[in-house]
Amino acid sequence: MSLVTLAMAGGFALILIGLYGALNNRNILRIIIAFTLANTGVHLVLVAVGYMPGRTAPILDAAVPVDQANALIIDPVPQALVLTAIVIGLGVTALMLAYALRLFASRHTLDISKFTELKW
Amino acid sequence: MVMPNIILIIATGLGAAFLLGLLREEKRLSAYLITLAALAFMSLISGLWLIAFAGGAAPIEVTTAGTPAPFAINFKMGLAEAALLLLINLTALLSAIYMQQTMLRLGRRIMAVFLIAVMAVSGIILTRDVFNLFVFLELVVIASGGLVLMSTDKRALGAGFKYLMVSEFITVFLLIGIIFAYHASGSLNIDTMAASDMLAKQGGALAFFLILIALIAELKPFPANGWALDIYESAHPGFSALFSAVFATGALFAVDKVLLMGGTTWLPLATGIGLLTFVASNIMGLAQHNDRRLLGYSSIAQVGLVLAIIGQREVLGDSYLFVAGGILLAHAVAKAGLFWMSGMFEARDLKDWTVLRQKPLMVGIFITFIAMLTGLPPFPGFYAKWELVHGLIAHNQFWLVAVILFGALIEVTYLMRWFGYVIKRDAPRYTEDTPFHKELVVVLAAAAGWVLAYVWGELSAYRNLLSLAEGNLLVVLPLMFALLFFMIDGLPARIKNIIAIAGMVAYFIASYSSYDPLQLIFGSIILLGGAVIMLASFHAEGRRTGFYPSAMLMYAGLALLIIAENSFAFFAAWEMLTIGSYFLILRGKASEPHALSYIIFSLGGAFAILTGFALAAHGQAPFEIASLADVREDVAPYVFILLAVGFMTKTAAIGLHIWLPGAHAEAETDVSPMVSGVLLKAGLFGLFTLLMTMGRQHLGPVDLTLVLLWIGALTALLGNLMAAFQEDAKRLLAYSSIGQMGYALFGLALMNKLGWLMALLFVINHYIYKSMLFLSVGGVAKRTGTRAMYKMGGLIALMPLSFIAVMIGIIAMSGVPPLSGYGGRWVFYNAIMSAEHRLPMILIFLSGPIGFLYLFRLVHTIFLGQLKDEHRRLKEAPFWIILPQMIYVLFLLGFAVVPGLALRRVDAYLTRFFPNEFGLDWTGPAITSEYGYWAPVSIMIVIGVIFCLVLGWMLFLNRNAQKVKQFNIVYSAERPYRPETTHYAWNFYAPYRKALGFMVQPFVTNFWNGIATALHNLGDFSRRLYTGNGQTYAFQMLIFVVMAYLVSRGMI
Repeated sequence: MSLVTLAMAGGFALILIGLYGALNNRNILRIIIAFTLANTGVHLVLVAVGYMPGRTAPILDAAVPVDQANALIIDPVPQALVLTAIVIGLGVTALMLAYALRLFASRHTLDISKFTELKW
Repeated sequence: MVMPNIILIIATGLGAAFLLGLLREEKRLSAYLITLAALAFMSLISGLWLIAFAGGAAPIEVTTAGTPAPFAINFKMGLAEAALLLLINLTALLSAIYMQQTMLRLGRRIMAVFLIAVMAVSGIILTRDVFNLFVFLELVVIASGGLVLMSTDKRALGAGFKYLMVSEFITVFLLIGIIFAYHASGSLNIDTMAASDMLAKQGGALAFFLILIALIAELKPFPANGWALDIYESAHPGFSALFSAVFATGALFAVDKVLLMGGTTWLPLATGIGLLTFVASNIMGLAQHNDRRLLGYSSIAQVGLVLAIIGQREVLGDSYLFVAGGILLAHAVAKAGLFWMSGMFEARDLKDWTVLRQKPLMVGIFITFIAMLTGLPPFPGFYAKWELVHGLIAHNQFWLVAVILFGALIEVTYLMRWFGYVIKRDAPRYTEDTPFHKELVVVLAAAAGWVLAYVWGELSAYRNLLSLAEGNLLVVLPLMFALLFFMIDGLPARIKNIIAIAGMVAYFIASYSSYDPLQLIFGSIILLGGAVIMLASFHAEGRRTGFYPSAMLMYAGLALLIIAENSFAFFAAWEMLTIGSYFLILRGKASEPHALSYIIFSLGGAFAILTGFALAAHGQAPFEIASLADVREDVAPYVFILLAVGFMTKTAAIGLHIWLPGAHAEAETDVSPMVSGVLLKAGLFGLFTLLMTMGRQHLGPVDLTLVLLWIGALTALLGNLMAAFQEDAKRLLAYSSIGQMGYALFGLALMNKLGWLMALLFVINHYIYKSMLFLSVGGVAKRTGTRAMYKMGGLIALMPLSFIAVMIGIIAMSGVPPLSGYGGRWVFYNAIMSAEHRLPMILIFLSGPIGFLYLFRLVHTIFLGQLKDEHRRLKEAPFWIILPQMIYVLFLLGFAVVPGLALRRVDAYLTRFFPNEFGLDWTGPAITSEYGYWAPVSIMIVIGVIFCLVLGWMLFLNRNAQKVKQFNIVYSAERPYRPETTHYAWNFYAPYRKALGFMVQPFVTNFWNGIATALHNLGDFSRRLYTGNGQTYAFQMLIFVVMAYLVSRGMI
């Protein structure tokens, strides 16, 4: 199994585990952790899509002359994307944790099924 | 002119947000001012660009990072982008002003988050890069997560978390979609991706689907939208305004952009999801009591509608932007305005909005927003609705039109019901002290609505209803005159009444020469007849807030209807008169439910007319009304049915009549004759026009005019029968109108000259005697304080003038000689002599005597018999209510002697349609037909002589009679539980009821009530889907995405 397939399979497995965990755990902290798992899976898939076997990092220096760069480096775009996605994921996770704090403060519980006063 | 760089919009938002971070925490006012200045500047840039593009500038592209696309992110700005950016930034500015106290309390952090949110939505509009789109979208999500917490409602905390959970799911779909779409196309630029063969590659279609569905999920599609409703219900109204008007706009535009990549194959998915959301949300909206949650349901529905329209952009072609933009902008402005309004008071039930009544301006603004949402003229939704239905029908999307109009009608129902609450429910005791800046924001939103109305009128291919710059002043003036009364509503009622009457008479004089005979008859009834009724309005004291704008709007619509030359003008006039009359009817004390059923039936009818016109137009809208005659044969019968049904909702043909009795009976004394005597004629005018142009139509083997004939006969029979069994005098008159309209419909459907002449006679006669009777009964009701006939009696001596009016009225109406009703009957009998259908004729004959039953009951139980003790000191009805009645009496007498005055010309006019038929011969004092003659003058003399002889004889006999006082009667010692049942006037026709009662069982009412209840129950049942649990919502999102994929791939 190649590295790409492995990363891809691992990534999707993480996504599925994460989403399953988010739907199957009532504890808000567990839900948040499940989402970070899913996010990590997404990041892994992103990187795997951009990976090309046998090539080097997209840094133009002595080892990679500009005129041969096209053949030597991997696609830099997914790498840029994954960095952005990680930062955004961090932001969302932080916000969710802040919510968790305030939710706990308001009800002294972290059970998601207890916060259903708004419905219908 | 040098235009500012559009990147400044992003830079300003971002820069100001960072600047706020540098300020000290205490400098709250400075921070707030910086926020406002940034938003104002962003609005200014958008506005300048909008002006430039409106002037014809070409769309521009802005590259970032010094590299052209697809190697760097690029922005695109065109007319649509500029318009949406202006909407977004202005709404944000107003919301920031609105949230002044909250923002100052919470400090610079919340302002920075607010700016980031607005900047990010602007970015969504501008960017052409998919990944950039994702970043801006996530910024909106994160910022929303913060802004939700501005609310003082503790429940917002849970709602915000649910939103974050759902958006985590969306993020996963979106990122996976983006990376595989990039893999398949080698680009992140939307335009480059659209040009690539991405969808053909393995996984490319799935990748595109994931991007599309993630963006659609941001639009809160049914059923994956419980989280959004919770936010709408609990968030700060200033934020909800933003959430509904701004964020949804951004997401819609993103969907529109991304759909470019998918080509046409994915459009049906958008339409399907949009329609499902539109209808389902509206049905669930029926069961809502919380105002903000209701607005949430309505927001989701409207956005669903726009999504459905986006899916039809290929079909709509050039008018796509006009339609989608009109509905979107009207929705955004109105919804933001309503959310802002909801923050002006604490209580959250729909009925608590009665507090608005303390400020008439706020009521006016409220109805502006409601009218914008329901697509009433002159707002953009009206033009968009017209264009949408025409566009879809031209491409044979009949089911789509039916579903959209069905959903729209449900939305009308709950919005108008809400308006009814505001106007009619008990106002709260407390007063709200709204800060000035909040009111200012709401007023500005309403003003923006009117500006949009004007702009959309200008943009439309048709007449701008609000523009003065149209060639024919007679077409422009009526609406302007009606709108004038909104401005001068503060004047005393009497002054406004003088202006109204003068205006109507002057307009008639100015139009007189341009009317053809048919228009002249309807025009005289509407304008002169309307003016006579308005004499009764002099009786009202004080300001009578709201009465004149409504009445004048109705008259404006009526006046425009009869001169409408093309389908658009006709439809616009029809909607105007409908709204005006709805407001008028709503004014009655107990009229709330009746006004609601009136507006639902009327708008339903209007939708039928609109669809009929669209079907007839065949891509050539608007068309001349006269060219209805040339409609293609294969669609003609359907056009005929749709238009006839539409018009018959107004004439209250049997089956569509249930709104009328309540609406007419509960209306104010001078309003009843307006909506009965005048308004019903709009439907007849429509039917006249329809039959004059389209003539006989056949659907398969069925002759449709024969169907109308039957409907007319049944309406006449059942209307009269129901009238005979009423206890309430005004309801009796209302039911009698149903019967009378049945006669007119019958006459029209005879499709011969005499039949039409008879229908016209009914138009005139019904106006006179129904106006007169409503006024006299209204006057009596005013004095006695009741409308129940068994509570009256013996009023003849106390109210002799009212008695004379009723007496003359019923003589005229029952068709006995010598008054004009007899003329009507005479023409009528001549007409049916020549018709071939016997059975409906028998029904019509039968309804004659039944009609006499209720008329006799009216005069007998009110004016004859014993006087009630408590009525001994009653006076005659007020002068101003009597005056028009006396005018009618004189007119009836005059019209009876010289009926030829009006009818001769009409007869000649009708010859055009029936060139080979023998009409009437008007020469000499007698009118001659094939079957006999009618000499009005001789009849008058004969009847007069007989009457005097009989009266003299009776007086002679009476001379020795002994007078018995009322209380010289011995009662037996009964103690009835319902005392009224012992009164002779109660259940006056009990034996007849026993025999014929089965015919007046409320089958039709039960039928419509059954539909209404079923829809309510469906809404109440389905909304339980939204359990309030964040995990359920996330799961629903997952299921939604999977289902959407399976359906779109044809696997289900």
